[in-house]
Amino acid sequence: MKKVEPEHKKLITFTVNGDDVEVEISSSDRLIDVLRNKLELTGTKEGCGIGECGACTVLMDGKPVNSCLVPAFQVEGSEIETVEGLDKSGKLHPLQEAFVEHTAIQCGFCTPGMLMSALALLRENPKPTREEVARAISGNLCRCTGYQQIIEAIEDAATKLKALE
Amino acid sequence: MTKTKWVGMDVTRIDAKDKVRGALKYMSDLSLPNMIHGAVLRSKHPHALIKKIDTKRAKELDGVVTVLTHEDVPGLNGFGIAIPDQPVLCGDKVRYMGDAVALVGAESKETAERALELIEVEYEPLPLVSDPEQAMLESSPLVHETGNIHNHVKIERGDVEAAFKEAHVVVENTYSTPRQMHAFLEPESGVATIDEDKNITIWCGGQHPYRDQLQVARALGMNPRKIRIVNTPAGGAFGGKDEITLQIYLALLVLHTGRPAKIVISREESVVAGMKRHPMKIYMKTAASADGTILANQARVVSDTGAYASLGGPVIGFAIEHSCGAYRVENVDLEGFCVYTNNCVAGAFRGFGANQVTFAVETQLDMIAEKLGMGKLDIRKKNALRKGDIAALGHKMEASVGLMRTLEAAENSRLWQIREELKAKPSAPHKKRGIGIACAFQGCGLGKGLPDYGAATIELLPNGQFAIGISCPEIGQGNTTAFVQIAADYIKCSIDDIVMLSGDTGHTLDSGTSTASRSIYTGGNALKLAAENLHDAISTVAAEILSVPGNDIDIRYESAVSKSCPEKTVSFKTIAEFVKKKGKTIKSEGHFLWPVSETELEGYVGIPHLLYSYITQIALVEVNTLTGETEVVEAVSVPDPGKAINPQGVEGQSEGGVVMGMGYALTEDTIIEEGITLTRNFSTYILPTSLDMPHKIDTIIAEELEPSGPFGAKGIGEAVCVPISPAITNAIYDAVGVWMKQIPATAERVYTALKNKEVS
Repeated sequence: MKKVEPEHKKLITFTVNGDDVEVEISSSDRLIDVLRNKLELTGTKEGCGIGECGACTVLMDGKPVNSCLVPAFQVEGSEIETVEGLDKSGKLHPLQEAFVEHTAIQCGFCTPGMLMSALALLRENPKPTREEVARAISGNLCRCTGYQQIIEAIEDAATKLKALE
Repeated sequence: MTKTKWVGMDVTRIDAKDKVRGALKYMSDLSLPNMIHGAVLRSKHPHALIKKIDTKRAKELDGVVTVLTHEDVPGLNGFGIAIPDQPVLCGDKVRYMGDAVALVGAESKETAERALELIEVEYEPLPLVSDPEQAMLESSPLVHETGNIHNHVKIERGDVEAAFKEAHVVVENTYSTPRQMHAFLEPESGVATIDEDKNITIWCGGQHPYRDQLQVARALGMNPRKIRIVNTPAGGAFGGKDEITLQIYLALLVLHTGRPAKIVISREESVVAGMKRHPMKIYMKTAASADGTILANQARVVSDTGAYASLGGPVIGFAIEHSCGAYRVENVDLEGFCVYTNNCVAGAFRGFGANQVTFAVETQLDMIAEKLGMGKLDIRKKNALRKGDIAALGHKMEASVGLMRTLEAAENSRLWQIREELKAKPSAPHKKRGIGIACAFQGCGLGKGLPDYGAATIELLPNGQFAIGISCPEIGQGNTTAFVQIAADYIKCSIDDIVMLSGDTGHTLDSGTSTASRSIYTGGNALKLAAENLHDAISTVAAEILSVPGNDIDIRYESAVSKSCPEKTVSFKTIAEFVKKKGKTIKSEGHFLWPVSETELEGYVGIPHLLYSYITQIALVEVNTLTGETEVVEAVSVPDPGKAINPQGVEGQSEGGVVMGMGYALTEDTIIEEGITLTRNFSTYILPTSLDMPHKIDTIIAEELEPSGPFGAKGIGEAVCVPISPAITNAIYDAVGVWMKQIPATAERVYTALKNKEVS
């Protein structure tokens, strides 16, 4: 019989979409595991597990990261934002609205990651050029749409967000 | 044409809000109380005999609930859409690296994966065959005892040799195409449950729930009625989830443990075990007269289906049907072989064999035009199929043919009109620009000789809304939104009053597959019939409410009206309440059988088709002459989908298709050497990103209404990714003067071709 050593467990605290959370993690957990399996935030998707597809993109202290590449213990004390936080007010975020209007969604599996990359872009650069939009989501693969409707949606959201100011 | 309120409008996708909120539960997001986690042990060798499987150590591991092998498959140990030649769990032999040998169920995913390492399998490696042409030789190792040639297609018409002698120009080339990966973003995943009466429910992304049900039932030796399959939603599929993926493993786990089960596989496992596009080697000889008329086409196509058949047989038939392009050719000699190797299994993939041969024939056509000094668009117009023409297989084009319409729209497009101006302005002196054009047609439906049928249900709900049911799954293409639009126009109600049920054997009748550009045409026609039956039932109740004869009722928008006394009306909502009070329901069905071509090709099924979608695509490329790298600067896509039910949706299909076809032309290939898959994830399998896509993709929808389609619709899901690939390689020739006969036309290949050109 093979003996399995007990895993090292650790309690970490951080915020998710503004809420404080405390989670017991094991040394092999990744951020995506904590979000999906422990906090039941399944909006964040896993497409490749090696940081190539971007489906698992979330914001960590405002920066987009592939949550499949972030060891959970590194998350201690940080602020995490996921797709579930976008419409926390009960109203769709202008980015979400624009994705809906432009049909920037087909199978939708890349959509949450796309939205988070776009959110990070627009916070940093409220008036991006088309090239800057394309660059900001270049770490997010989409196999369905060919990206054009997504880029147009982000441009549209930028315009609308600017108008809100 | 019937006036529509919803069809033809850019209606918002019905699943859009849930998808942007991250709220839609994909199969990999589902969790069930007390569930076990499954993992599949794949083969260690591409070709080997299994001498012994020892699961003892794995079973003893803490947290392992079950370890299953071929001995635990109660029914037929095989699956496969065409023939069940792929073992569920291999017992005596493995034929590729994706073959499943054992299945573990454990308390956690980690434990299940650890247990895989403890299963001891003794293999005796066999000589393998990885080249399909070698596999055809008598001396080759046998993948299956029945021989390595799984399917052979040969179609001859007229006299090609005579035509080659008479012709003004003959071009002869050999082409090869890559093993493209579907790369749906959601790897295969699913959950399942079993109840006390051994009724099993499986939630697993797929493309034909009723066929999944049949295949699971066969493997379990169970009545299909005891198995419910839910296929919607899938995080992308493109044909890659048409075959069984995890459904049978999920069923085995719940059957043997009585507990719910979940399996999510990694991208690497998905790549090694899952379907791919058939790599093909295509020899083609094409002859034309001085005015550009194609006189003859000869093709010999060898297709690598890997270790198991899946849909490899029909794919080679489809390739042969499409091997002369969307053109009139009177003399043909077309031969195709579908061959087993120890490579990854190839099966259905958007385009279904048309992509490979279209690349070849569209290159041939450009070479002919070049030799004749003829315009690339002109030669296509000259030979384009028109309604009533006889196509390559000798079958008459009986249905709508929109090819000329797409060519004319392409000709009038901005990109084509100002192409010389754009070509003259490369972004750097060492870059050269070129323009390419290509056409395609794409058979819709399963083709002659295969049962192609679909049903729809409509139920008037107590609140006055309508639940419509179609089993063709939503795999991202947007068919559920289109069905809602079609249903609302046939029922005559608001789209907001339609509740869509999709891809579930428990709640929908069998509508067939979400493949073959068929679901809109099938589901739409079934809805039309169901709506007629619904209106009959509504009329009867309305007549009772309004105290008028049954034949005096007219159905208007959201209400029934007395024809003789138009002030007498009753809304659908009131009818629903009336019916509910009486304890009754109004539920209708529509059953639609596909029309087929009059032509019968003896000995073949699945060819020819009656309906085709048509498309012309244009690419403007820029080739870096120092590195060989090709960038697609702009593209125009002109599809003829029949009526575009949702134009914005058609644009999305078109743009996605252009980029997928661009990846096929330039970067994508799953490399397998000696049976070992080398490109196992997106780090080495190069998918186009947002920076690689054309700066601009213009979609011009050229509707040629199909009288037999719902509101004139056909299908367009596949054609959109087909001609763009040769449009790109033709544009590379236009830019730098090299013909790319092997795709992907990677930087290395283009660079080498440029160097060879300099030398010669």
